[in-house]
Amino acid sequence: NGAAFSKVRGSQSGQDSTRWHVVRKFLGLISSHNIPVYLIDPLILGLVDKDIEQIRSSPDGPSPECKYFCASRDFTTFALLDKTWKHEVGLFRTAEKMGFQWLKIINKDPRLDGMDDLSGMEIPLHYIFKLASHAIHLVVFYERSGNYLWHGPLRLKQHMDRKFVPFRKLHFGRYPGAYEKPELLHVFIDDLKVQIPKNPSSFLEEMSHSRFLECRYREARAFLQLYPDDASLDAVEFRIKAKSLLHLAALTLNNLGVKFWLSSGTCLGWYRQCNIIPHSKDVDLGIFIRDYKAEIIPAFQKAGLPLKHKFGKVEDSLELSFQGEEDVKLDVFFFYEEEDHIWNGGTQAKSGKKFKYFFPKFTLCWTEFVELKVHVPCETLQYVEANYGPDWKVPMKVWDWKSSPSNVQDNGVWPVDEWDDVIQIY
Amino acid sequence: MEEWKPNPAVKPHKKRSWYLAWKYKLMNQRALRKLCQTGAVLFLLVTVIVNIKLILDTRRAAYEEEEESAQDYDDEMLNVEVPRHPVNNKKVLDVEVYSSRSKVYVAVDGTTVLEDEAREQGRGIHVIVLNQATGHVMAKRVFDTYSPHEDEAMVLFLNMVARGRILIFTIKDEGSFHLKDTAKSVLKSLGSQVAPFLSWRDMWTFVGKKGGEVYGEKHAKSPALSTWGDPVLLKTEVHLTSVEDAECHWPDTELNRRRKRFCSKVEGYGSVCSCKDPTPIEFNPDPLKDNKVFDVPVAVIAGNRPNYLYRMLRSLLSAQGVNPQMITVFIDGYYEEPMDVVELFGLSGIQHTPISIKNARVSQHYKASLTATFNLFPEAKFAVVLEEDLDISVDFFSFLSQSIHLLEEDESLYCISAWNDQGYEHTAEDPSLLYRVETMPGLGWVLRKSLYKDELEPKWPTPEKLWDWDMWMRMPEQRKGRECIIPDISRSYHFGIVGLNMNGYFHEAYFKKHKFNTVPNVQLKNVESLRKDAYETEIHRLLGEAEVLDHSKNPCEDSFVPDTEGKVYVMFIRMEQEADFTTWTQLAKCLHIWDLDVRGNHKGLWRLFRKKNHFLVVGVPASPYSSKKPSSVTPIYMEPPAKEEGAVA
Repeated sequence: NGAAFSKVRGSQSGQDSTRWHVVRKFLGLISSHNIPVYLIDPLILGLVDKDIEQIRSSPDGPSPECKYFCASRDFTTFALLDKTWKHEVGLFRTAEKMGFQWLKIINKDPRLDGMDDLSGMEIPLHYIFKLASHAIHLVVFYERSGNYLWHGPLRLKQHMDRKFVPFRKLHFGRYPGAYEKPELLHVFIDDLKVQIPKNPSSFLEEMSHSRFLECRYREARAFLQLYPDDASLDAVEFRIKAKSLLHLAALTLNNLGVKFWLSSGTCLGWYRQCNIIPHSKDVDLGIFIRDYKAEIIPAFQKAGLPLKHKFGKVEDSLELSFQGEEDVKLDVFFFYEEEDHIWNGGTQAKSGKKFKYFFPKFTLCWTEFVELKVHVPCETLQYVEANYGPDWKVPMKVWDWKSSPSNVQDNGVWPVDEWDDVIQIY
Repeated sequence: MEEWKPNPAVKPHKKRSWYLAWKYKLMNQRALRKLCQTGAVLFLLVTVIVNIKLILDTRRAAYEEEEESAQDYDDEMLNVEVPRHPVNNKKVLDVEVYSSRSKVYVAVDGTTVLEDEAREQGRGIHVIVLNQATGHVMAKRVFDTYSPHEDEAMVLFLNMVARGRILIFTIKDEGSFHLKDTAKSVLKSLGSQVAPFLSWRDMWTFVGKKGGEVYGEKHAKSPALSTWGDPVLLKTEVHLTSVEDAECHWPDTELNRRRKRFCSKVEGYGSVCSCKDPTPIEFNPDPLKDNKVFDVPVAVIAGNRPNYLYRMLRSLLSAQGVNPQMITVFIDGYYEEPMDVVELFGLSGIQHTPISIKNARVSQHYKASLTATFNLFPEAKFAVVLEEDLDISVDFFSFLSQSIHLLEEDESLYCISAWNDQGYEHTAEDPSLLYRVETMPGLGWVLRKSLYKDELEPKWPTPEKLWDWDMWMRMPEQRKGRECIIPDISRSYHFGIVGLNMNGYFHEAYFKKHKFNTVPNVQLKNVESLRKDAYETEIHRLLGEAEVLDHSKNPCEDSFVPDTEGKVYVMFIRMEQEADFTTWTQLAKCLHIWDLDVRGNHKGLWRLFRKKNHFLVVGVPASPYSSKKPSSVTPIYMEPPAKEEGAVA
């Protein structure tokens, strides 16, 4: 079947039979070693997505033409879940026998990185199998705490062949990435049996903002050398409560599909010490006002977090505060995007005074924090510095939200007739 | 795995300076001169010595098996150095070996591979094994043959070393007092002429090839009981063989490649490196049907006891239902050899830089290992925690697979442990029986992730607290009244005798006679009755059927329990309140079970076996089961010995 098919394909112009052959060989190689890989090549998934209904409905029909694997490209990208194979070296022997040249990119294991003084073996992050003019990029995904998949960056070590493949053109590896665990689908495309994410378009959407930031463990250690961690029972208990509050808040917002990020003190804690700041008293989250949903308040209340106060309104300076377990509260700040900056508002209950906090524009990245996959501003340093000034590295136990932040500005006073609406305290 | 490199933080061998080498050379000449003088003086004073010997006869009696013939020995004749051969094409190693009262060292080609001048340490015979092709150190051991049984360990070790290896011996301080004939003849068979006559405080160095030539031997007799022989320095040359000659020719498979890497690096593991008939390093035990613990990570907590680790991993990998991919070995420190062992078995290992001392260090190592385990296996709900000095029963995973759902569903449970503190040869009988106990035995146990993440990890004692992790876990603040499930017959066996809290006597007294299950596929009985409420029903049923023993008899006597089999008996002891273990401790002592602290109790009840009968002990009136006591029975009270012995942790 394949041979006849390749004849047809070879005759078509602008098509690359080499690629199809290499992919087929590769799939043969990995299936002979029982290694389950799935296709994550964004260009092919883009094409597949257009025909997804048809592909789903005819899972094993022969293809009349080569639609996906014949466009001339340098790479085809596949994913491998680390836990599904045993790192047998036999795979590489077979690959060599089949004519593949291969390259393995290893690095230290980020799952151990946060831990003092542990050194495990380095783990494989990427493999490249090259045959003739085509290469297979195999990205290794790891399960991490927080129920998500992670892939590492692709960094070449000194002795490596920089010209092995045109590395710059790779779709994965510029940054590490975080993904949900995908549901997979067996499909038959271009007469090749492959697994793909069940919903290619949502995978592609996820991919477009999958960039992952590792916590700065080394700097956090240096910080703790300077300012030893508070090991008191109070601190321990606050952290336990804050962590469970954050988990609950994340669950609630994720269920609503509302994107949020760690803000203020919680963000500072992540950036500076990879942990919750024990004297911070609350958990702070940021949400873009465009993602606001009216269901947010009832959803939190349903989750057992009563509204403590609501300041401002959707059009201006919205801020919600929920009461968590005992004295830990959850502050949710809404952020308003302008041409060249982003801001959120504050309100003083007794005077009706308004405040405005300015931030430089930022985008969102994934990170892992207290066993949770959450967003933080990618440009974290600017964000933290805007909020806490250049001395953010020095712990401050006394903090006045009206005057301490270096990005605060007076923003007038709420008109008295609006007070009932914009200053609600429960 | 193949990418793993020894960590650069490992201390490099010190280069012996020119100056030092020269100094030792001079010292040696001085030593020779001194030896001659001593010899002359010895001859003149021989009668005096004989007299002193007579006086000291009583003391002499203690030094068993000293060879009289050693007295006839001519020191000068024996310090043979093999003549130096001109260097041919073959590579030659310069070996220096030094033996003295307070210091030993071995240098190979100017590099110090052993140096020990610590006070009160390193007494006995130091043995170094070199690879005959590369000259690399493959093993370094010290056997304190001044003390009993160490010579047996040395014989065991020497027998395991492959033929052809270079062996280097040197004595520090004293190495002859408990060096028995067997050991001496093994040394003799290696080519030593001195070994059979080694005596009290002699200094001795020897270099030879196992099963081959002798490269040199030096000896200095101790002139008197109260003094040591003069230091000796042996300098010799060793010819290296080709790599092919030093290696075995196993078929080229992935497994054998691992074996080869291991066997060319380390020594003392016996048949695993045998050329002819190597013992397997892959075991493929039968898989378990419906294995509920196949995806449960296994954390092996290890230190620098690679031989223990080797033994432990062998038994672990031979257990039915084992999943090697889930095993991680956590090594406390940058030790190469334990990592070599881990790689031999194709497992993954993680090294942990020590950050604290003694017990607290172990405790921090535990914390790091547990945290890392749940990081590496984020989907796991449990972790199996093992230590490097445990044998694992063949049905270890089967035992866990049948019981783990209890830990998931019953919140009153703290752990499942493979170890029964009171399960000795004479007190454990039923491999299918489980108990609930208020103590946490450790030694092969299952930890629930939520317990670790939500409760233990955040509060784990910080390094400066110097607490034992297990004692901390047993504290009421942590345990909160929860219980552990244990088997009657342990599924682990504690074989370690060299450890922080271990010594030979302690092990002999408390661990050696522990019962260990060797029956595969044991079907556990009545697992559901281990749930909180069901267990109470079960206990009441047992007590209802139990025959009350004759309380007028001495419970320590064998006749206290009738000569029956398979019956249930109960006795009542005095226990004024929940923490009153006075009588229990005395009873435990005379029954030769664990008495150093209270273990294995459940609401003032202990369950064990005596003469193959189930034997229940109820503490009255503290135990809620006291109501089962007939009014005619007076609880037995046993007085502690007059002098209070301190409780040992």
